[in-house]
Amino acid sequence: MADILSPTTPEQLRDAVSWALGAKTPVEIIGSGTKRAFGHAVKTNAVLDCSKLSGILFYEPEELVISARAGTPLADIKAALAEKNQQFHFEPGNFPGLLADNSVSDAGTIGGLVACNLAGPRRIKVGAARDHVLGFEAVSGRAEDFKSGGRVMKNVTGFDLSKLMSGSFGTLGVMHTVTLKVMPCDETSATVIVTCDDPQSAGKAMTLAMRSENEVSAAAWISSADVSALDIPLASEFGGGLVALRVEGPKPSVAWRAEALCKALAPFGQTHEFADSYSHRLWQFVADVKPFAGSAEKAGLLWRVSVPPASGGDVCARLMAATGGNAMMDWAGGLIWLQLSGSDAMDQLIREVARNAGGQADLVRAPEALRETVPVFQAENPALAKINAKIKDNFDPEGILNPERLVPRNLIGEGA
Amino acid sequence: MLRMPEPDQNTLARRKDIIAAMREIIPAVGGVIVDDDQLRPYECDGLMAYRQLPMIVVLPENTEQVAAILKYCHTNKVRVVPRGAGTGLSGGALPMADAITISMMKFNRVLEIDWDNRAAVVQPGVTNLGITRAVEHEGFYYAPDPSSQIACSIGGNIAENSGGVHSLKYGLTTNNVLGVEMVTIEGEILRIGGKGLDQTGYDLLGIITGSEGLLGIVTEVTVRILRKPETARALLLGFNSSEEGGKCVAAIIAAGIIPGGLEMMDAPAIKATEDFVHAGYPLDVEALLLAELDGPQVEVDYLIERVGKIATDYGAVYSRISETEEERLLFWSGRKNAFPAIGRISPDYMCMDGTIPRVRLAEVLAGMQELSKRHGLGVANVFHAGDGNLHPLIMFDANKAGDLEKAEEFGADILKLCVGVGGVLSGEHGIGVEKRDLMGEMFTTDDMKHQERIKMAFDEDQLLNPGKVFPTLHGCGELKTLHAKAVADKFPDIPRF
Repeated sequence: MADILSPTTPEQLRDAVSWALGAKTPVEIIGSGTKRAFGHAVKTNAVLDCSKLSGILFYEPEELVISARAGTPLADIKAALAEKNQQFHFEPGNFPGLLADNSVSDAGTIGGLVACNLAGPRRIKVGAARDHVLGFEAVSGRAEDFKSGGRVMKNVTGFDLSKLMSGSFGTLGVMHTVTLKVMPCDETSATVIVTCDDPQSAGKAMTLAMRSENEVSAAAWISSADVSALDIPLASEFGGGLVALRVEGPKPSVAWRAEALCKALAPFGQTHEFADSYSHRLWQFVADVKPFAGSAEKAGLLWRVSVPPASGGDVCARLMAATGGNAMMDWAGGLIWLQLSGSDAMDQLIREVARNAGGQADLVRAPEALRETVPVFQAENPALAKINAKIKDNFDPEGILNPERLVPRNLIGEGA
Repeated sequence: MLRMPEPDQNTLARRKDIIAAMREIIPAVGGVIVDDDQLRPYECDGLMAYRQLPMIVVLPENTEQVAAILKYCHTNKVRVVPRGAGTGLSGGALPMADAITISMMKFNRVLEIDWDNRAAVVQPGVTNLGITRAVEHEGFYYAPDPSSQIACSIGGNIAENSGGVHSLKYGLTTNNVLGVEMVTIEGEILRIGGKGLDQTGYDLLGIITGSEGLLGIVTEVTVRILRKPETARALLLGFNSSEEGGKCVAAIIAAGIIPGGLEMMDAPAIKATEDFVHAGYPLDVEALLLAELDGPQVEVDYLIERVGKIATDYGAVYSRISETEEERLLFWSGRKNAFPAIGRISPDYMCMDGTIPRVRLAEVLAGMQELSKRHGLGVANVFHAGDGNLHPLIMFDANKAGDLEKAEEFGADILKLCVGVGGVLSGEHGIGVEKRDLMGEMFTTDDMKHQERIKMAFDEDQLLNPGKVFPTLHGCGELKTLHAKAVADKFPDIPRF
């Protein structure tokens, strides 16, 4: 039975880490525990449960800033933002839904979202969580309090440790407070769809749209196999796959740009424009990667392949042909979700294709046994790995925070 | 008075050997500068109150040369000061008597424009505006636009994480850089990031951006380029108080409008700039707001009307909308010339750079007036109203005994005031040497030690840009020592299950 520590204050959190440090007992850090299956299993009997470090500390809509304890449920934060017609601009989807069956929407905590540096379709325009974290407070593996950043939009005071903590999976410090930039929701949005079966021509269509002056805020390709799951009339009537392009902003501007996109994309296929409500539904579908949601047992293996966007179409076609998997593209081709039905991760093949395109591939979902032998995250090159190891060692010298979560000892040097 | 690390006599004694080694690495004529009169142009950066001749200056031409120089410096324990265009305002490129200043200005080529990925690959000595110049024929531009953009280098922008007037909508340098090639002090060449959006491992790109030359020397940069908005129009709005102006800014943002630019000036700044450039600014208002909307014509026309209406509702006593591109540029000419305009009415000025939560604006401006009286020096304010980044310009006369010291104290008091209301020391100019000794106002020793532990991971011997950013450099041994707290089996206060 695991020893679970549940601090309720930052001071208690420091005491808990202090205990782990003194007892040389590694801890697995969790918020609500919805992303535990992402990354490698942390082999320890002690769990540091941060879910009681919860609550919004301040939310000032006119200042575009929200600050909360790291264990605050994402659903609470999103509800508070929605009340003021605001949002996280980086549009995180329901990532926990990719790891479990029947996940509720907006599962997880704000701390977990930052620690995993999540982002949705709008990333192609506005970046990921790391671009919106203004500051944090944490306890490092040295059991020392430290903070960086602040609550203002523009800040170059000292090294930007907020970036470092974003996407560090709790391996450098345990955050108890995070402060993020928020943005107003746009007045309206529209989505232009273009019928497109083949990922290569979809890639070309998305590249053309991104190069245009229409300020496309999201660009995705949904294959014919998944369009029916969209549950939007017309989309399925068209038959076949489709490219979706979103524009957002004031009404007259959205209308003008959507029309321009329809014209520009006509050579690629039949075009159609969805207004606000269907547009929302479609992008929630893409953000949540709906067609591939579920547990590893029921929904198979899931890869997240990140490449320079313009090469996404070619890479996607090659991966689908080579693996026989299903795929969906987001970030104008910069992100390829690849679902495999068998038990073979095909990691060497997939990583080679990604690397040759100047990208990388992470195994987002796989049974724990498979993650024992296949690195979840693509290995850094050795020079960067050396620096990363030094940073880890300087922040967590005894290796007590989420050890081996990113790279298990037996897999060091693999996954290149 | 600012203290820099003592020059290392041992290094100074080896100067001849060091020069010979550098000449071997950089055979080109003029690649190694050693004479005092030629070193003179490098004695300071944009923070001209501090000057120091470098031991020598080298101008490498390619990555291999940079790697060889740094490897030599690492082996022989010679300190290094990286330098871009030298426009920085916080003394980040201030030389040291015992250090080699490495100027990166021969790295001035645009290497590749990848239109399909909307990325430009350039060398670090290319100017900020140079990137836009290289892509504008296809309707693209590079978004961050510090006011020194005509001269400042993209490498320097990365060192300082530079902002500009459009950063609320388009982000800072850190949000627009996709990748770098960087040489470590050990002479190792790293490639971090690229044209894709994810990078594996810790976010080193995010740490390097804004690290003020303390972690390595960037030799290649990949940035995101954006389509230039179809059009832009600006509004000039006058208010009877800065508080009213601030409330109007809050109302615009609360209405869901994020203008491309949102700048404010106080009465002394309005008067100084109007006298200088005759932009047609009203002289009978206490605060002037310059709001710019950019995007498709239909969007701009629609939003400019909405902003105009909000301004009227929030008590604007003066309102003018640009009808032509010439008029828009005229509106901006005052704001963009605010610094030289102050230079005309005061022998010297010092530009501060704190950021505050916008809602505290009126209070901070009032506090600044108090400080102005106390220190007996005038102050004019221009600020990026959208993101709360203030640029108070303290007016003084360096030829008057004690004036510089008074100005520095005044500046420090302003920054303390900013930090006191939840703000920060620097919004976009960096810490450098200028604000180094104020870091303790914002950070605890442990906060700073964690930053220094990043430094340790890159540069254990502290050879890169020493004396900058951190008030006290802790030794590596001290940073690594684990001050293990008392260990207890049980913490009765922590709920356990």
